Amino acid sequence: MNVIETDALTKTYNGKGGISDVSLSIGEGTIYGFLGPNGSGKSTFVRTMLGLLKPTSGRGFILGEPIGTIRSREQVGYLPELFRYPDWLTGRQLLESHAELCRIPVRERRKRIDEVVDLVGMTGRDGGRISGFSKGMSQRIGLACAILNDPKVVFLDEPTSALDPIGRKDVRDLMLYLRDRGKTVFLNSHLLHEVESVCDHVSIVHEGDMIVQGLWRDLMQIEAQVEVVTDHPADVPWPPCVTHVRKIKQEGPRMRWLVQFERESDVPEMIHGLSSARIAVYEVKPIIPHLEDVFLHWVNRKKESAYVGDQ
Amino acid sequence: MWAISKLTLKEIISKRIFLITVIMTVVFLALYATAIYFVSREAPPVEPGAGQGAEIVLLQQFVSSQLLGAGLYFSSFIAALLAILSSVSAISGEVASHQIDTWLMRPISRTQFVLGKFAGLAVLLVAYVIALFFGIVLIHQGFGADWMALDFGAQQLIGAASVFALQPFVLIAFGLLLSTRMTTLNAGIVSIMLYGAAFIGGFIEQFGAVLEKTALINIGIVMSLIYPVDSIYRKMTVLLFNTDSSPLAIAQGGLFTSISSPSNALIVYALLYGAGMLWFAVYSFRKRDV
Repeated sequence: MNVIETDALTKTYNGKGGISDVSLSIGEGTIYGFLGPNGSGKSTFVRTMLGLLKPTSGRGFILGEPIGTIRSREQVGYLPELFRYPDWLTGRQLLESHAELCRIPVRERRKRIDEVVDLVGMTGRDGGRISGFSKGMSQRIGLACAILNDPKVVFLDEPTSALDPIGRKDVRDLMLYLRDRGKTVFLNSHLLHEVESVCDHVSIVHEGDMIVQGLWRDLMQIEAQVEVVTDHPADVPWPPCVTHVRKIKQEGPRMRWLVQFERESDVPEMIHGLSSARIAVYEVKPIIPHLEDVFLHWVNRKKESAYVGDQ
Repeated sequence: MWAISKLTLKEIISKRIFLITVIMTVVFLALYATAIYFVSREAPPVEPGAGQGAEIVLLQQFVSSQLLGAGLYFSSFIAALLAILSSVSAISGEVASHQIDTWLMRPISRTQFVLGKFAGLAVLLVAYVIALFFGIVLIHQGFGADWMALDFGAQQLIGAASVFALQPFVLIAFGLLLSTRMTTLNAGIVSIMLYGAAFIGGFIEQFGAVLEKTALINIGIVMSLIYPVDSIYRKMTVLLFNTDSSPLAIAQGGLFTSISSPSNALIVYALLYGAGMLWFAVYSFRKRDV
């Protein structure tokens, strides 16, 4: 069963902004990245899924239950982007209040709170007032809240925005820990490297539209590039599968090239073509595209198709 | 729902404004006790057999009931302000700060959230109002001289305190309704202006009753229907001073009690009004985005 499912889910504000026409299916035990720049509608989508916003159109389900119903939120955790907690409570009192709302049995509360406090690295600091917490500590206690009820689905909206590098690594480890325990993590982020480092599946959203979704490694396959080192003939007869070639630098008697293809599967054909032409190949090194390049590739492709459509 | 009620209670109690309110209430009661003490001492009692007649006794009764009325009137005022200020921010404040997000994403309904807020506020403010009511009565009866003591039966006191406790019920329900749709500042301004208009309407109605001007009485009645706060206070004084059945007692009442007697239907109306406002608050909050 899909843990999260939406069908053309749309939330706009008087016809403007928000996010439109999101259809996705997310299975169990996945870390799903919802990637997009600030203001692209990521938080609107999550808040709509959690019933905080009423959808303009479309449908959404969490664990098979329609969004907006109490049942759809029973096994869900959430860390909001704007994590604000009552500053008159202590961290532990906050967790106790949430435990009560989640109907965690009284005799289990203390143990469970100790567990999550430990998981987010707040042991010994949870007794302080939230008003005295740093942003990082608030975000950590928010994470503890999000996983307190041992949810099957956790929505994390920019979960590392206030954390230092160690904190960011802790959160990444926590996400992987949750996934390994069969939980589904829906990660909202504008940080490409954060999404890349933990997510299996990714959606890219931009200006309220979902541009593309799929396995992260598939989305990365944009115009494959390799660096090739050959001997230094006056002219290399590049096979037709090569779409673009650029000299990088001369290394003694050899030349380093940047070679571009439409598909990664064209690389063996190029090597075969060069060998047939008796060009010595000393090195073929795949170039992993920059994350920014991947993101811009998909955004530009969407814009181009929209432009063609307008014509 | 009870988890939200408990949180609401804890929130008010843990905030500094609650401590300030408690301290100021104690200061107010101390000042009131001092005033009562000096009035008792300054005004010489009527000596038995001095032949000063019923007029002086009536005057003393008038002064005594006026002092009690003034104490209760000011109590009503501070309780109303506390009810308004705590209810108008109950929802709008949490929406504005986004604190509400993590509560509402839990498996609770919006109805439970609003009712929980209402119950938390109502428990605290009803307790506060009743404590204030009996505090004023006890100070008046205990610190005053013998000539100031008014003759209250238990039924009078319980009836008046019960009606007095209706005031926060109505104010909180109305404040919560505004809080579901307006910012805290706007909701506060609307509530306080309506509260002021209700009391002016109440005084106009009293003058209308004295002057026997139907138009003035009707203005008061209309205001009582729009915001039945002053009429609750007037009804409380009628029950306390038992002026409903005694024309003489009405004459003793003065400015802070009621010259005309609000009907019992008013109590039913105030209850329905509070329940209706609460229902609208739930309905309004269920429809909105947060």
